[in-house]
Amino acid sequence: MAKYQDSHKFTMNLERLPNEEKLSLCRKYYLGGFAFLPFLWLVNVVWFFREAFVKPAYTEQLQIKTYVKRSALGLLLWVAVLTTWITIFQHFRAEWGEVGDYLSFTIPLGIP
Amino acid sequence: MDLLSNKWIINLLVCLFFIGVSCNSVEKKIYVHLNYTVSCVRLLNATHQIGCQSSLSGNVGVLHVLESEENLDWVLHSGPNPPYMVILESPLFTRSVMMKLKNGSSRVAGVAVVAPNTNPAEGFSPHTTCPNENTGVYSETYDPTMANCNMTVWNPLGNGLSYEEFDFPIFSLKDDNDTQIIRQCYLDHNHAVNGSTPQYPLCAMQLYSHMSAVTDTATCMRRNAINFSLNPEMVCDPLGDQNVWASTRPLNNTAKGHKMWESVVIAAARLDSRSFFFDIAPGAESGVSGFVTLLAAAHALRNATQEAQPNRTILYTFFQGETFDYIGSSRMVYDMENNQFAVDLDNVHSVLEIGQVGLRADSKLWLHTDPVSRRNESVNKEVEELIGNLRSAATGLNVTVDVPRFSQPLPPSSFQRFLRARPIPGVVLEDHQSAYTNKFYGSMYDNAENLNVSYPPNLTPEEQLEYITDTARAVTEVATMVARALYRQARGEESQLSSIKADPQIVTKMLYSFLVRSNNSWFQQLLPSDFTSYLANRPPNFYVGVVQQSSEPTLLVQYLLANLTGGTVNITQDNCKNQREDETDKVSKHMYNYMWVQGAAPPNSTERGGYCVRSTVRVSKALSPAFDLQQYTSKNFSTWTESRWKFIKGRIFLVASHELEMLTLGVGVGVLLSSLLLTYIISSKADILFSSGREPTNATY
Repeated sequence: MAKYQDSHKFTMNLERLPNEEKLSLCRKYYLGGFAFLPFLWLVNVVWFFREAFVKPAYTEQLQIKTYVKRSALGLLLWVAVLTTWITIFQHFRAEWGEVGDYLSFTIPLGIP
Repeated sequence: MDLLSNKWIINLLVCLFFIGVSCNSVEKKIYVHLNYTVSCVRLLNATHQIGCQSSLSGNVGVLHVLESEENLDWVLHSGPNPPYMVILESPLFTRSVMMKLKNGSSRVAGVAVVAPNTNPAEGFSPHTTCPNENTGVYSETYDPTMANCNMTVWNPLGNGLSYEEFDFPIFSLKDDNDTQIIRQCYLDHNHAVNGSTPQYPLCAMQLYSHMSAVTDTATCMRRNAINFSLNPEMVCDPLGDQNVWASTRPLNNTAKGHKMWESVVIAAARLDSRSFFFDIAPGAESGVSGFVTLLAAAHALRNATQEAQPNRTILYTFFQGETFDYIGSSRMVYDMENNQFAVDLDNVHSVLEIGQVGLRADSKLWLHTDPVSRRNESVNKEVEELIGNLRSAATGLNVTVDVPRFSQPLPPSSFQRFLRARPIPGVVLEDHQSAYTNKFYGSMYDNAENLNVSYPPNLTPEEQLEYITDTARAVTEVATMVARALYRQARGEESQLSSIKADPQIVTKMLYSFLVRSNNSWFQQLLPSDFTSYLANRPPNFYVGVVQQSSEPTLLVQYLLANLTGGTVNITQDNCKNQREDETDKVSKHMYNYMWVQGAAPPNSTERGGYCVRSTVRVSKALSPAFDLQQYTSKNFSTWTESRWKFIKGRIFLVASHELEMLTLGVGVGVLLSSLLLTYIISSKADILFSSGREPTNATY
């Protein structure tokens, strides 16, 4: 029986790319994340983790490793800042009165 | 072709099947919906929020009919199935019970009060003991001994429930068959006999009355106005309506501000009232008695003022929104100060206000005056003259007027707002010397029964309309006195005085229409045809309501006043609607107001003969100046707003125990997980389970 092969993937198959292209892709995602787009860094980390740390070494791997580490750092920073802000806002919005209302996109009805 | 028509037939059958099934919905088998839902709503002012609030998905509670105040212990402490939905009979709807429920509100899901068919004997007033104490004239600066009801407590029976904040819904139920179903459900399922705990399933009720506004008026008006929100939504509206006024001499309404040589005597009354629950405000003694007297007096003065115009103009004013910190009168005074009204405060000579005059003990009426402004000699002289006019007008009538024996402040009245602006001489007519004689001030029991308006049995509605009750006769006497006193105060001809008499027929018709049933033949004649939908087979509701929605009494009083003080003019309907006497007339609209009313049907036909009424009746906006000035934390003006809500409804159903619910959920989740597991196992071992023993086909790629 023929082995069922999934040839219609949504994600690009990194297996087939040459190493230079992998590096340039990683760099693009790393630089793109500086435009207030932490999700690009998340994608970078998840996607290139295996390439950077699990695969046997090749020339470009060192740089890919650096990019992945820095993306992870940036991601962590963003998560910390957002979590802090969201916690403070949800807790104190009612007490801030006017300022809280002007910062909100949706104000809950019937509760302060 | 054949296949196509087959398809259509099958589609049709499937649709019919669904329609048939959905009519027999499961929802109707579970829930019994409440038909009559009247709840208390949230009102906000500059500093507080009052009223009731439910959660967004309704408050569910196990029913409990409260037997006595000691039985509250079951609800608050010992009952095993909190939260409870408490059903109160009206004797238990007291401040102490409600405050205890409010303090134990984690175990209380809501309250439903059964309203009795007759008034309770001992009196009930959810209003405060000192109505409108912060927006009257008596403040620390005016006279500290009289501020905050230090000298006289006007409403001693007041328990202040209307001005408390509850975080559970409170509904009112009528004492009828639907409520009997609720009581029966409680007795069948929830009643604990001899100390045993009631077993599941239990009867429960769910009440929805989620209010959108919160904290205070400034917050809710700010949230109304936010622009960049994702879903802009209005959360509250200011209370307000329109004041109705008319004058004995036509005043140019387009030229606002001071009118030279005009000296005006203001005859004021208030239109509105309130109760604990939303949109129920019969207001018989607190509102209707006063303004019906003034309407009858205006009618009595019609002929005299047309034949021999008195020197001063009498301005009849009917204020709306007085219950909520004098919305109407504060607005009129503000307009007068800012030249936005037809006259201004320099034109005002004196004020006579008709307060609560329906319950006269020993036929006595009391003339209240303000002692602080009377310290001024000239003001005192004018007040004495007005009192003298009232006394002499009462001679020969079945009314005795007297001045309270001791110096005391004015009762809560619209005249206080005029005094805040300047010391004007004035008198407030009331039927109580110090505390109110009205035992039901600001409650839903202030109805026809409170005023002793009763009819013999077996009369048709039209016969009841024409029947002159004793209350009507008493009010007629007061109206005659008021009319004569106003005529004298306006320096009218002495010779005309004896012909000024209020008509008891008109008074009894007004009392019937405003206290028993507004849909009758008389009101049908007075209104234009597009407004007859406002008439209903019940008394009108005197709650002032939000400013965008005009209330019934304003409209009814407007057309009634036009009929009683104006006259018919023979002009076409087109001219009448365009406020002119003929095609070339451009000036009449400044002085007069023309209304086309539908009139009566002649005996032989069904077509009503409409006609045009020309009068000096106008309306002026009654919205608190705080909203125009955007001073939402104002201490000087009324800042009352009413919250918006999505729906108010209630339903009853049986609830199962929590354990049964969790068990059902657990079984469902278990079935889901086990079916997923089974599917995974079967699919991974599919080649073993479904091997058919065929030759493997040669794959040709």
